[in-house]
Amino acid sequence: MESSESNTVVSDMERLPYSANSLKFAASRSVEIAAMTESILRPSKTKLIFQSLPVHMRRRVMSHNAKRLPNKLRTGHLEQLKKSGLPPKQKRPSRKYRRRPGNLLEEYNRRQKKNFWLETHIWHAKRFHMIEKWGHRIAYAPCDKAFRACYRASSAHCLLQDISYHTAVQIIGPEITIKDIFALITSNYCGLGICAKAYIDGKREGSIHLYEKNMYPFGYIGKISFLWEKNEREKSLWLFVHPSQTKQVESLLTDMLDNISHTPVEKKRKLTNNYSENIKVKFLPGTFNRFRLTGPKSHIVLAHSIKCIDDIEKIKENKWIQNLNRSTLYLKEKCDYWQKIKGATSPSHLPSKIVIGLVVRDPRLCRPNRRTKALNENIQLDIEPFLNIPPTLSASPLWDSYTHDNIKKEKLSNTQFIEHITKTQLVPGAVNIEDPALQSIPIVLIQRPGSQDSSKKIGYGSGWDIIIPPGYGLQFWQTLIMFGARSGGLRESENLAFEMGDCYLPPDSNSGKEEEIRIETELREKYFRLPPSKRVNYIKMGIVTPFICPWKILLRDWSNSSTDNFFVLRDRRLLQRLQDCIINKIELPEIENAVACLVQVSLKMVKKGKLNKNAIICLPEKNDLLELPQEQQCEDPNEKIRKQKRTEHMKKLKQLRRKRNKLKKAGTQVNKSPKKISSKSEPSEYVKAMRELWLPSDIKSCRHSCSRQILGFLPQAAYSFSESRSCGVGFVAYNALNTLLKKNFNKVLVRNVSSRKYRLANLFLKIDQ
Amino acid sequence: MADENISQKKDDNKKKFKRPNKNYAVKKRLPIRPVDGDNVVFITKKTNFKAQLDRCCDLLTKGEKEIILHGLGAAIQRCCNLALQLESLFSGTCQIEVNTGTVDLVDDLEPLADDLDFGTQVRHSSSIHIRVFRTAMLGANQ
Repeated sequence: MESSESNTVVSDMERLPYSANSLKFAASRSVEIAAMTESILRPSKTKLIFQSLPVHMRRRVMSHNAKRLPNKLRTGHLEQLKKSGLPPKQKRPSRKYRRRPGNLLEEYNRRQKKNFWLETHIWHAKRFHMIEKWGHRIAYAPCDKAFRACYRASSAHCLLQDISYHTAVQIIGPEITIKDIFALITSNYCGLGICAKAYIDGKREGSIHLYEKNMYPFGYIGKISFLWEKNEREKSLWLFVHPSQTKQVESLLTDMLDNISHTPVEKKRKLTNNYSENIKVKFLPGTFNRFRLTGPKSHIVLAHSIKCIDDIEKIKENKWIQNLNRSTLYLKEKCDYWQKIKGATSPSHLPSKIVIGLVVRDPRLCRPNRRTKALNENIQLDIEPFLNIPPTLSASPLWDSYTHDNIKKEKLSNTQFIEHITKTQLVPGAVNIEDPALQSIPIVLIQRPGSQDSSKKIGYGSGWDIIIPPGYGLQFWQTLIMFGARSGGLRESENLAFEMGDCYLPPDSNSGKEEEIRIETELREKYFRLPPSKRVNYIKMGIVTPFICPWKILLRDWSNSSTDNFFVLRDRRLLQRLQDCIINKIELPEIENAVACLVQVSLKMVKKGKLNKNAIICLPEKNDLLELPQEQQCEDPNEKIRKQKRTEHMKKLKQLRRKRNKLKKAGTQVNKSPKKISSKSEPSEYVKAMRELWLPSDIKSCRHSCSRQILGFLPQAAYSFSESRSCGVGFVAYNALNTLLKKNFNKVLVRNVSSRKYRLANLFLKIDQ
Repeated sequence: MADENISQKKDDNKKKFKRPNKNYAVKKRLPIRPVDGDNVVFITKKTNFKAQLDRCCDLLTKGEKEIILHGLGAAIQRCCNLALQLESLFSGTCQIEVNTGTVDLVDDLEPLADDLDFGTQVRHSSSIHIRVFRTAMLGANQ
């Protein structure tokens, strides 16, 4: 009752206004509105996002599985989690999801961004150890134990390697200009020039040693194979550069072109300007596929896997052919020649380094049903095609960039191919080889002669290189594999070079130096992972640098003058003379820069002994040839220091531990974690000092580090299957070789870094041609 | 010009195959092989003699009716030795039949100067082909 009374009282006393002023109304409540909007826009910070949900929508797992939250809250929630220090753990997507074609492709594209993949990458990744090298992902060695099998393939069967990582470089321009440019960066002492008559018509592939501009004999870059290509319009030079040297070659060539156009004498300006306009250098990495077949059976494998086209009429529907001048294809002549040489039992029967440009059927059409060995048909061979090469043999439409774009565009994918075959074939399993729906492909074959001296098995290392347009790499690869070729990787390339007595990356090139350092760090780390009792004490062995060959120190020791640069002797005439000197034990001739000169030698053990990498080559003394010497155990002055240091360190550790325990008892927290992280990334001062005591890094001299004087080192040494004894490829200082010959020896002592026994070895020179 | 010179010098030095001309390096190619098979053995000078003999014995004892031995050049003598040894080892159960021939060998002439092209030369080498065949069946003499 009272309330109703009071209401009436209110209505009596104050009347409600007839109109309300909205502005006034809002203004008087502005504080409340502001508070409300504030709380809507920025919900109270003490709460987590999922706590703001109504109770019926909350789930217990929400805090660690964001997917239980409504979608619009998820991002905020994840950020909150990040702030609170818990990194959101995201489950790896299921295998089924990852294997969906689209997702798989996306993943592959992401992984290819860092390192370049070859076309056969996925095939290799399933079967090979892959390594990252030179900006590529390269197959190193097959996963099955195949070291010996790969050697056997290269010597008696067929070894197949994908070397598409070699960069193709096209140089277009007049011959004279190219000759001028290459005169500055090569030397005619090392072999034939780039414009030699033997190579200029494009019939054969050549190789050339490249140096920095005007630096010969210093500044070696690498050995590069080249090929002249002639078409009706212009002549162009194709270089195939090893990926470790690509950058160097690129900067060198661009530098040369710039200099030619900018710094000529004024009179010559007209001419030189023409040069720079005329010459074009194109780097085309990843354009061509280049496969390397090695071994006598490689010819038969190839003969089975490629089916030549002899008539233009059969392939006139192919799009890439329509823009070409048909008279320059010479299909008939090439096919005839290929038929004639098809029956050869080994590629080393053929003229060395010949280039054959063929147009062949799609390789998927001529595959056996299952992996079979390609066998030779016994045909009586005519000797004539091995002597004379038809002049039109090397021409190929492959080199035209327009052609490969077209070929790639018109290519049938494997799915399309299978669909087409199942649709058109009448008898299951039978394939019509002359199917017009599949386009033909131009390829280029290049022969490699292998060993041609009687010092090695004749024809060892001979084979074919195939250059294939982009897009067809895997198809050719699989066909070759199906005909019995055995696949190998980078290890096989290195091993093949070793068996041939070559050095894969010479130590005076940048790539070789990098490789040496990489191997050194690898071996060093491995060495220091061993417990001290299992480590070889190299100081006691009298070895200063067990993991790297110190060329500069060696040369300094033998010349008494410091040299900051060195080179490997590649002058062919001089090498020939040196070889005569070594055989007849005559003193060496005087040469320029002898103080900085290394000579490449290959060693062969006389009797017993197994050589390892980095073995030392020593000068024998008078009676050493009769009775092989043994190195006396050297004194290790660091041994005591190491022991002392270790006991000190242990003491210190003990003290620290005691301190920690005390603190723990006292109840204070000791934060350990940051210390541990830092120690993992870099070894502590103590470890560094100990390592220094194991292997001192400041080396003053190496010549007199043991009882016999050191002449050189063997960066490559192992058991050689082709020689059936231990062999090594090494480098000897020029003056040291001279000293050896002056003492009337042509045999040397060799010793492994982990052994004290000296062994006797014969010394040979490798004359690279 | 250059070509004429080469051909002349080639003719002059036909007997000295090792270095027909200072401008060329002689590179050997693999000789062309006769018909290959399981029962064909190529005799070389580098392989151990005993190993080759054992290989031939194995082939014969394991039921091969005939084996063919090929020898080229300096390996001819070794090939004959081996065949005779086989004959005496399988006394009475084996016979040999000998053929001789000539094999054309091709050498590459690699130029050592820029203004020369590659060349080839053909050498001839004598060869021997010995057929060793069983006259009595396996195990007949045991």
